[in-house]
Amino acid sequence: MKALPVADRGTVRRSVAELARAEKRSLILALVLHVAAAIAGLASPWLVGRIVDRVTAGAAAADVDTFALAIAGCVLAQILLSRTAQNVGNRFGERANARLREDFVARTLRLPIAVVERAGTGDLATRSSVDVATVGNAVRQVVPTVLISVIRLLLVVVAAFLLHPLLGMLILAGAPTTLAVARWYLRRAPQAYLAEGEAASELTESLTATAEGARTVEALRLTEERIREGTARVARQWQTRRATLALRSVFFPVVEAGYALPAAAMLLAGGYFLSEGWVTLGAVVAATLYAQQSIEPVDHIMIFLEQAQRGVASLARVLGIGLVAPEPRGVASAPPGQRLVVRGVRFCYAGGHDVLHGIDLEVRPGERLAVVGPSGAGKSTLARLLAGIDAPREGVVSLGGVPVTDLDPAERRRRIALVTQEHHVFIGTLRDNLAFAAPGATDGDMLSALVAVGADWYAELPDGLDTELGDGARALNPADAQQVALARLVLADPHTLILDEATAALDPTTARRTERSLGAVLHGRTVIAIAHRLYTAHDADRVAVLADGRVTELGSHDDLVRGDGAYAALWRSWHGDKA
Amino acid sequence: MRYLWWLVRSQWPRALRGSVVGTAWMIGLAVRPWLIARAIDDGLRAGDTRALLTWVGAIIVAGVVVAWLGIMRHRTMTFLREDATARSSQVVLHHIARLGAVLPRRVPAGEIATVCGTDVSQASWALTMTGPGVGAVLAYATASVVLWSVDPMLALFVLLGVPVVVLVVGPLLNRLQGVDTGYRHELGILTSRAGDIVAGLRVLAGVGGRDLFARRYAARSQSLLQQGYRVGSIMSWVQALTVGIPALFLAAIVWLSARMAAEGQITVGEMVAVYGYAAILSVPVWFLLEGGFMTVRGLVAARRIIAVLRVQPDAGAAGPAPHGPADLHDPQSGLTVPVGRMIGVAAEDPAAAIALADRLARYVSSEVSWGGLPIAGVDPAEIRARILVADHDSYLFPGTLREVLRTRHDVTDAQLAAAVHTASADDIVESLPGGLDGQIEARGSNLSGGQRQRVRLAQHLLAEPDVLILVDPTSAVDSHTEARIADRLHEHRTGRTTVVIATSPLLLDRTDLVAFLRDGQVAAAGRHDELLETEPGYRALVARDAAEPESDAARVGALR
Repeated sequence: MKALPVADRGTVRRSVAELARAEKRSLILALVLHVAAAIAGLASPWLVGRIVDRVTAGAAAADVDTFALAIAGCVLAQILLSRTAQNVGNRFGERANARLREDFVARTLRLPIAVVERAGTGDLATRSSVDVATVGNAVRQVVPTVLISVIRLLLVVVAAFLLHPLLGMLILAGAPTTLAVARWYLRRAPQAYLAEGEAASELTESLTATAEGARTVEALRLTEERIREGTARVARQWQTRRATLALRSVFFPVVEAGYALPAAAMLLAGGYFLSEGWVTLGAVVAATLYAQQSIEPVDHIMIFLEQAQRGVASLARVLGIGLVAPEPRGVASAPPGQRLVVRGVRFCYAGGHDVLHGIDLEVRPGERLAVVGPSGAGKSTLARLLAGIDAPREGVVSLGGVPVTDLDPAERRRRIALVTQEHHVFIGTLRDNLAFAAPGATDGDMLSALVAVGADWYAELPDGLDTELGDGARALNPADAQQVALARLVLADPHTLILDEATAALDPTTARRTERSLGAVLHGRTVIAIAHRLYTAHDADRVAVLADGRVTELGSHDDLVRGDGAYAALWRSWHGDKA
Repeated sequence: MRYLWWLVRSQWPRALRGSVVGTAWMIGLAVRPWLIARAIDDGLRAGDTRALLTWVGAIIVAGVVVAWLGIMRHRTMTFLREDATARSSQVVLHHIARLGAVLPRRVPAGEIATVCGTDVSQASWALTMTGPGVGAVLAYATASVVLWSVDPMLALFVLLGVPVVVLVVGPLLNRLQGVDTGYRHELGILTSRAGDIVAGLRVLAGVGGRDLFARRYAARSQSLLQQGYRVGSIMSWVQALTVGIPALFLAAIVWLSARMAAEGQITVGEMVAVYGYAAILSVPVWFLLEGGFMTVRGLVAARRIIAVLRVQPDAGAAGPAPHGPADLHDPQSGLTVPVGRMIGVAAEDPAAAIALADRLARYVSSEVSWGGLPIAGVDPAEIRARILVADHDSYLFPGTLREVLRTRHDVTDAQLAAAVHTASADDIVESLPGGLDGQIEARGSNLSGGQRQRVRLAQHLLAEPDVLILVDPTSAVDSHTEARIADRLHEHRTGRTTVVIATSPLLLDRTDLVAFLRDGQVAAAGRHDELLETEPGYRALVARDAAEPESDAARVGALR
């Protein structure tokens, strides 16, 4: 397993800067509007301060009305300005999100399949769901909130500063402790919350497994076992949640206690300034209200800091996909011939021993070649080399004289197709599931492909080719799904097919049905069948026996049986002959 | 409701503490505006430094106390919720672990995932009402008294105004949630499309069509972008109004109280305090509003939990089982499974063989007799303990290979090694990082089809039941391995009853006796080689080169 890369800080910073550059105008507009809205919001405490001064000076009630009206006007202005600012910001967030996710999918689709397999699809699946969503949430909610809060906080400080420079400084009286505890918290929080999330999904997985395997629980009498296992998961969840609670138990009270400091400092300093006659009582009242107003933005920033941090971590993982070199475009043009030749091929998986030790094999166009041998002999590896998914460490696999790995991947796939146990029905209509194999295929082509593989269930579909499949819509059973996969092959029409135990994962009944549908696909093509059932070998033109990474026997079934080697012995025992 | 009540009752001291601390915290929130008012009036305005210092000191102390109360409230409520979550999880766990084969028939697995993942925690969140919910009401009452002492008219205005504002803004937020739900739903679909592409990458690599999928995803993403614009437009109004409407209300209060201050009815400090109270009073009202939503959601969740808990196992008989191993007889097919032997069952229709296995182990109602006793009358626990059907649906739970294999506790390492050897699974132990201590994922998803089958076989052998019914135990392994397993299986089960349902000649050849099933009935019985000679139908089924039956003809045609 070789993990997929994660982008470093520099790459993340560059990509954020790039995004900001592309959206420069809407960003500046949003910023200006937010500042204007925040200024309108700050007018209220200042006006209250003015009222206090007037009242202290002995103003009449009617005198107050003008100021009250001005406050209402400011609030209305704030509503309109912040609405527009939010809207500009939201639009920017949506665009940024769309771009990020589209880039991610486009890059994922360009990944060389060998890289994906080596890393496992689990990591990629997490990035496509959890990480893209986390980044999306950050861009949509966290960034705007933090941005607004920072603007508001700065302006509160500026406003208090205008009342009196020293009062402005005092708004930040709580900052040192808040910053210190935030640093402490942020260093520990991500891991703790990650552990909490993992524990929660592990518990759900454990309980779901117990439910899915209920018959097995009964058959193997695993009740106590499953209860013990589930109880351990519940305990683990409790434990991780206590850990995050412990972090909050320090973070929250320190931050909250800090909220009293600015107001206290303001009153204390205000008292002194007042006695010295530097400021009016109204200014002190206004500054105290500003101090109270600074609580909310700080609170918001604190709440979202952790999410912002997670957003950055996810962004690094999303961008990491872009660091993998995309699948190379081919260097050679399409070969004229169809002859697959393997010469002196050796191969090892990263860092391991050779699993193939010098294979020589020639596949004649149009022939059926069965490859048999015990598990671990290197059959599947050979199949991957033949299909050009992996390149040999030594030697060459060529098609019509051109090394298969030099071919353009799209060109190669049109000529050689690899069919494995894995089949996948994409979410979408049946047509979507077939059409991508052969762009330009008509409905008629698709129907005949389905008929050719014996997909008789097609007649029962409510909407024919437009029937929605997968994810909550109609689910196909494994055999039907495999038939869809085979119909794709009929449409793609490669001249060479490599079957790697295409039916081994199916139960025997289903396997039999699927094998029947294979006939239509194999007709008129070169077929290399990796097989674990000997009847496949019996029916092939030639049989290659692979053992320990070498071809030990090669010839027609009858020749090999007559040759009385390992294959012959196996055939006889399988066949039930006691001879 | 009864369920939620039970969750509260089972930890009532904690719930009570939550209420007390929650109330104290909310009242504490109202203290700061009052203290600031005192500091302004007694300290600043009067020019009394001592008084100012006292009140400022009080503000700081109050800040610390409120922070302490706040975290105590949060801790108590978290413990309350976590206790409820753990309790609910345990109840569900114990229930589903006991239900057995009934469960998948009554409740879809996705439902269980929702109950465990979402409903359990939503039911717990409803308990939040018990702490701050009660506190909110009391805090509101306290604030009323304080405000009343300032000025009754002003108090009425504030006390009635705050709930009105919250009731106006609350539905706005709800509407936002509604719009957002549609967007999130679409976003969810888009996410599953991305996941779908990731899951199908190998198919796309094998057949092509990547560009098409990239374009299709981008088109959907762009249409979501348009929807996002629309949601954003509504959202920005809601966001601005949720802030703006309370601000307007506050402006009205300032205006009223300022006029009063100007007329000398209240002091300047009191005017500032009223401003503060109005801002802080919204906290308990919000709590009540949110608490209401949580309780409703919690009730729905509790109902779904109850629905799972109501599923009951089939009422079973409690009769005795035969002492010691005994023959099994199935009147429907006419098959008798003799004690201590290994018999093969080759069925023309695989479904008939699987139905036979289900009857023998009484997964369905059956006429089968066991040592002369009707199996329908035997205690199901006894049957499960002694008769095991090893089929393809058998679930592999995640864990180390050793844990997966050891379903009984008294399994020795030697027995483990013997079963692994019989199932020809030594290479799995070798190739798995960590060997026997290597991890197996749920459903054995990190194993190949053949490996899964051999792990299951070893697991079922280690369960050592009196009667082991193996359904196609080697269908996914290569012929070399199958030959080895066939050789070893008979020896491993010597002296114990084993039924092998298969059509593989390698396996059938190593059994003591083979029953050939046609139309669900035993059509012939004898040793494998005898049946090959005497039964053309049997020969056609198991030996592939003889007279070609329908399915074989197709298969051979497939490769010719």
